[in-house]
Amino acid sequence: MKISIKIGGEAGFGIMTTGLMLSKIASRLGYEVIDYVEYPSLVRGGYNAYLVTISDERNTALKTDVDFLVCLNQDNFLKQKHLLHKQSIVIYDKNDFDFEDDFIKVNLPFKKIIRELNGQAIMKNIIALGGLLAILGAKINILNQLIYEQFIKKGETVVSFNQSFAKRGYDEIKNNYSSLIQNYLSEKEEKEEKMVVSGNDAFSLATVVSDCRFYCAYPMTPSSSILATLASWQEKTGMIVRHAEDEISVINTALGASFAGVRSAVGTSGGGFALMTESISLAGITETPIVVFVAQRPGPATGMPTWTEQGDLLFACFAGHGEFPKIVLAPGDQEEMFELTLKAFNLADIYQLPVIILSDMYLSEGHKSINKKIIDDYIKNYKVTRGKFISQISNQNTKLKNFLRYKIDDDGISKRLMPGVPGFYYQANSYEHLENGHTTEDAKPRIDQVKKRGKKWQTYLNKDFQTPKFYGEKKGEVIFVSWGSNKGVVIEAQRQLLAKGVKTGFWHFNHLYPLNREKIKNLFLKRKKYVLVENNSWGQFGKLLAMEMGVEIENKILRYDGRPISAEYILENLKF
Amino acid sequence: MANLQDFNGYDPTWCPGCGNWGIGMSIKQALVQLGFDPSQVVVVFGIGCSGNMNDFLNAYSFHALHGRAITNAIGIKLANHRLPVIAVVGDGDCYGEGGNHLIHACRGNHDITVIVHDNGVYGLTTGQVAPTGQKGYKSKSTPQGIIERPINPLFLALTQGASFVAQAFAGDALKTIEIIKEAINHRGFSLVNILQPCVTFNKVNTYQYYLKNTYKLTSDYERSNYDLAIEKALERDREKFPIGVIYQKKDLTYTDNLSQLKEKTLVEKERFKDYDLLFKDFI
Repeated sequence: MKISIKIGGEAGFGIMTTGLMLSKIASRLGYEVIDYVEYPSLVRGGYNAYLVTISDERNTALKTDVDFLVCLNQDNFLKQKHLLHKQSIVIYDKNDFDFEDDFIKVNLPFKKIIRELNGQAIMKNIIALGGLLAILGAKINILNQLIYEQFIKKGETVVSFNQSFAKRGYDEIKNNYSSLIQNYLSEKEEKEEKMVVSGNDAFSLATVVSDCRFYCAYPMTPSSSILATLASWQEKTGMIVRHAEDEISVINTALGASFAGVRSAVGTSGGGFALMTESISLAGITETPIVVFVAQRPGPATGMPTWTEQGDLLFACFAGHGEFPKIVLAPGDQEEMFELTLKAFNLADIYQLPVIILSDMYLSEGHKSINKKIIDDYIKNYKVTRGKFISQISNQNTKLKNFLRYKIDDDGISKRLMPGVPGFYYQANSYEHLENGHTTEDAKPRIDQVKKRGKKWQTYLNKDFQTPKFYGEKKGEVIFVSWGSNKGVVIEAQRQLLAKGVKTGFWHFNHLYPLNREKIKNLFLKRKKYVLVENNSWGQFGKLLAMEMGVEIENKILRYDGRPISAEYILENLKF
Repeated sequence: MANLQDFNGYDPTWCPGCGNWGIGMSIKQALVQLGFDPSQVVVVFGIGCSGNMNDFLNAYSFHALHGRAITNAIGIKLANHRLPVIAVVGDGDCYGEGGNHLIHACRGNHDITVIVHDNGVYGLTTGQVAPTGQKGYKSKSTPQGIIERPINPLFLALTQGASFVAQAFAGDALKTIEIIKEAINHRGFSLVNILQPCVTFNKVNTYQYYLKNTYKLTSDYERSNYDLAIEKALERDREKFPIGVIYQKKDLTYTDNLSQLKEKTLVEKERFKDYDLLFKDFI
């Protein structure tokens, strides 16, 4: 079983909350969930649409054709009807609008119910959710439970008020459309505890687990929810979360905190990241650890703020003036976001450099269900590794010592002392410097320090770089090559192709930069047909492969209309 | 106890007669007199002739990007609020490139001390006019004379909520030491604007100019009087420069307001591990 449900209507009417409630309900009942939200860059007006795909078995992608469409207004119906098929069920209020198309009609009289129960227009959502659960064969009690959790802060009255609307929606379907009710969402007998997390949620949780103590940001879609989430937790977690005056302040405050000894991170999107780039370079030369979360959206400039794209890959890889090492990671899904964020904080500390985590709107704001045990296992196996950071050291001498902050070592990594430790001093210097941190313009120490910083990359490539993961058949007719958040849709495309008898393989990269030439060049064989899949118009990862590896991939499936790539899109555009 | 020698780094490369000498010496003297040694203070330096003090002053220090020293200083303070944190910056640095950060640091009452070298020019890039340069000042970048009015740093800081605002003159080291000590001791955001002749590039605001146009606030000056402080700050528009602490008030600092820091500094705190408290939101 795999079904897609879309709820849409006017923005500002709680569609996001309702969609997420549906995802949580399905997850609690034991099903797999993936969701995605479409919305304009407005607070009111325009429309929101929330797509939830629910399945019995493990699923990696949204099902883009819609089986159940809930229309909170006519606009939504007109916008979504091309995604419907003949068996699609459309839930709508006949008093609001009607249609002639050949879909299965379910009249749910929102306006009438609201009038009778003395509610407000925003209650349409809860009525719709009640109706949906009835038609999907779920029991009402699970919705009542969620409403309780959602509204108990506002008091029992608010809870029961909302529950009464849910019940009316539920009963309306039970009483009038019993023949349409199917057993999609009956509670599974055997189920594991699941969490429903967005990419931003996964990042937020992992920053806490990795002992990040300082998070700084300036709101920018689609990264903003991290700022809100971490801020709402700070009294529990003890993290300091600062909303600074601009992104330049954001990253520099974080670099200050990191210099002083605490794990620090910042989050933004492309435009904010552009403002940070001078300081990415500062992190490079001062060798200050920092984790930078960049959730991409279509640019250039303000672009399409609430839509998705992978257009900042090359920008992230080459961000910052001058030559210095950095690491760029791009998680494939919410689970990898958790895993790689944990890793990112260790890498930043071990190699004393900026680590950029590339997300995008699709991964950042879309949710996926993950078995809680998987998360628990990551936590159990996680070790906070701070590399050569020293927070205690004794100076036997009575004389103060200039600590050799940039001492040359075989692996390129120098010891880093926490400021305030008695008996020592040093400077972290944005100018080129000697081993002791003092400014220099001499040729020899310049060469030594450039080599030292470069060496960190070599150490990383040998010790911590991971080659891409392979999915499918090595002997496949087609080998897909992609990165970051496209992982799930490519795997789904492979499944659909296999069902048609076409065997495929897939190299998925999440350690994007630097790339290990030795380990990667042998993965690409001349006689194979490789197809690059990217959510941008340039095929930026293809360019990176060509530049770094000498690998040219001619066949490209690219999408740059602001929408995420889907399995269906890949199949439509795949040429044999 | 540390002595001046302990704070001496490399030999300064400032021009002979530059006001930086007096400022550099005053900062070191203030630190010695307050009983600090170089491992007990953090200094963040901006970029410019002032920032070049990074190599001449021993401390745990961070040589920042042009304009950004205040933001690094705030981060350091948040991570370890028991460390005294000083930002040594220039007027182009702090009032031009990083003007936005100054405003917001005042608003937040972050407990850092910002020492600004106010010489009216960009010395290190050979004398272009700074935001503090007087209207009509001719420089390489403004051969016809600068069109913009000069910024008024004291007025700006006062109106944005700074809890300690002072002005010093590099030619009067004793007074400068006293002011810097007060600024470091002040709990909250402190701005010390130091009037400093640039002997190489600024032929207008010379030692003679400042000797003529500065005057010391008397001991009965009421530094807690905000209206009076505003009046004093505005004297700059008439080329009058009061020397001393213009304004000081008691207020909670940014970190005082953070319940996370009630017991320990951020670096010292125990690691948070009660993840289930957070996970329940996602189930």
